[in-house]
Amino acid sequence: MKFSVGWLYPDLMNIYGDRGNILTLLKRAEWRGYEARLIELGRGTTKGMDEVDIFFFGGGQDREQALVYEDLLEHKLPPLERAVAAGARVLAVCGGYQLLGHYYQTAEGERFPGIGLIDVRTRAGNRRFIGDVIVDADLTDIEPTTLVGFENHSGRTFLGPKASPLGRVRAGFGNNGEDHTEGCLQGGVLGTYLHGSLLPKNPHLADHLIRAALRRRGITDLATLDDSTEIAAHEKILARSRR
Amino acid sequence: MRRAAAVWAGKATGALSRISRIGGGTTLPGDVARAIDPDVLRKLSRDLAQGAIVITGTNGKTTTARLISWLLEGAGYSVVSNRAGANLIFGATAAALERAGANGRLQADWGVFEIDEASLERAVDEIQPRATIVLNLFRDQLDRYGELETIAKRIESALTRLPAESRAVLNADDPRVAEIGMNLKSNPLWFGLDDISVAARELPHAADARTCPRCGASLLFDAVYVGHDGVYRCPNGDFVRPAPELAATNIELNGFDSLAMDVSGVRIELPLGGLYNAYNALAAFATGTALGLDGAFIANRFRSFRAAFGRQERLEAKGRRLNLVLSKNPAGFNETLRTAIDLAGGHFFLIGLNDRRADGTDVSWIWDVDFEHLRGRARVVVPAGNRAEDLAVRLKYAEVDAMPPESNPGRALDAVIEATPEGDTAHVLCTYTAMLDLRAELVRRGWAKSYWET
Repeated sequence: MKFSVGWLYPDLMNIYGDRGNILTLLKRAEWRGYEARLIELGRGTTKGMDEVDIFFFGGGQDREQALVYEDLLEHKLPPLERAVAAGARVLAVCGGYQLLGHYYQTAEGERFPGIGLIDVRTRAGNRRFIGDVIVDADLTDIEPTTLVGFENHSGRTFLGPKASPLGRVRAGFGNNGEDHTEGCLQGGVLGTYLHGSLLPKNPHLADHLIRAALRRRGITDLATLDDSTEIAAHEKILARSRR
Repeated sequence: MRRAAAVWAGKATGALSRISRIGGGTTLPGDVARAIDPDVLRKLSRDLAQGAIVITGTNGKTTTARLISWLLEGAGYSVVSNRAGANLIFGATAAALERAGANGRLQADWGVFEIDEASLERAVDEIQPRATIVLNLFRDQLDRYGELETIAKRIESALTRLPAESRAVLNADDPRVAEIGMNLKSNPLWFGLDDISVAARELPHAADARTCPRCGASLLFDAVYVGHDGVYRCPNGDFVRPAPELAATNIELNGFDSLAMDVSGVRIELPLGGLYNAYNALAAFATGTALGLDGAFIANRFRSFRAAFGRQERLEAKGRRLNLVLSKNPAGFNETLRTAIDLAGGHFFLIGLNDRRADGTDVSWIWDVDFEHLRGRARVVVPAGNRAEDLAVRLKYAEVDAMPPESNPGRALDAVIEATPEGDTAHVLCTYTAMLDLRAELVRRGWAKSYWET
């Protein structure tokens, strides 16, 4: 059984240690006996996009984000839409999350367009949200139901009617610091501000994504793994916030 | 008058802080004195008979500053410098205060200050250095510093405001540092490595400056030395590594023990290991020659150099050797891992990760470190520090067989000592405050001196 992770712009959109998400997806598939492989999707290439089960799109610096935007529109968007329609999943973090939305509006009111794959809009805030985040997730198939991570963003993201939140923040700021929501879910795309990396400390979310992506291949259940190491790191963040 | 009051208040604070054992008085006196006279560092810097040198960059500041001080002291000058990584403006002020006399005047020939990238603009403005060294720019503590671009722009603005006679000494191998240098009006003094035999084949995952600043194309690397530092060019010819005036060739690396290289016809031997220390030594050599020191004198002086606190310290513990190396960001960590495993043949490791302010409160960066390098090579790895659990997860996904996480420094130390055979070396790689915690434990057990005595 093949399992493919497609990493969008691994050389440019990789600033916050988000590689942990890639490693977690690959290893958790490998440990279950799947033939896991990574497809790197740099600028100018679309090779292998049709085979991808889960796309990952991380954050970059402004300079890099400007470079990938054009390539995203020109090369990646049509095959990405096709793949998602066919049941592939997308995990987008921070800058990647913002770029999949309609636009990013600067403090001066200038709008940088996103690719509009998800119904979210982001505008610049005057203060950076930095720190640990705990989310009570709106997903029904994960145990525990909490997600933990670290946020570091000045963008304020607001969801439109087609997107629903990934969950509600118990600690931290989340999407915008106003409506207590964090992240978004829309048609196979999961957008979030959580670094940490996100998936290593939330193995239940990693499995949720793998399960959802493999459903189209007839897989409905995943073999159980020993997650005690991962859950200990998860619990550490929960315990700190209770102090 | 105000300056004298500031100096006295600062000095008194320093003495109190040392007596009361609150951290060796390395920065608090600076806070106090600056509150009384905000211009105290500017005034003290003007007292320096020869002038000041400022060192910045992500990795290597402390070692390079110590190398330069060592050279100047060897040439008969008195030097004031901020020690022990106290590299914010308060640390530099505290260092100057400590050496100020009863009249509130600073009595020293040279000031050698390592300055945190984020404090550079203000520090350079107040200190007015004769030379500013920029070692490298890697991703580091994004929660505190912001992104690399922000830091790079601040450094450029600091250098742009310097008077024409002040020299910028820059690493030509770092694309982001080179870009800064090319935008300056005066000519920088470029240094770089020229020895393909010590180069890696490809960029590590955590490389940052990968694209041409002019056309955005991915840079081509003919050699990769440390992080994204190497020999690079834009495929469209829009940007190319500046030719280094001071280039290191024939580099020889001998574990953590020593390195040797040729620079300007002089063979340099240094009792410090790791390719990153070749850069530090080269930067110090470049600065020394720019200040008129003789190459042969520098080479001779380097031979008797000693490393700074936790930068590369060796201790004895129950018949085992402990090799302490500060490792605090992906580029630095990858290099210490590479040195410990490939060059020093290390098998036993304690890795300490803390998430206090000085370490960076976001530990995401451990996923950018190539811990996979330990797989199949390390026999024992003890994950330590207050985020030992995160480290344990990272090691699990690198498929490195590790011991259970141990947040208590004493117990972590016991675990690694017990697992290391007598006569063998345990490599202790820690973030800043994790190293402080561990060292405090070593001092308590009588295995190390307190850091303000080193």
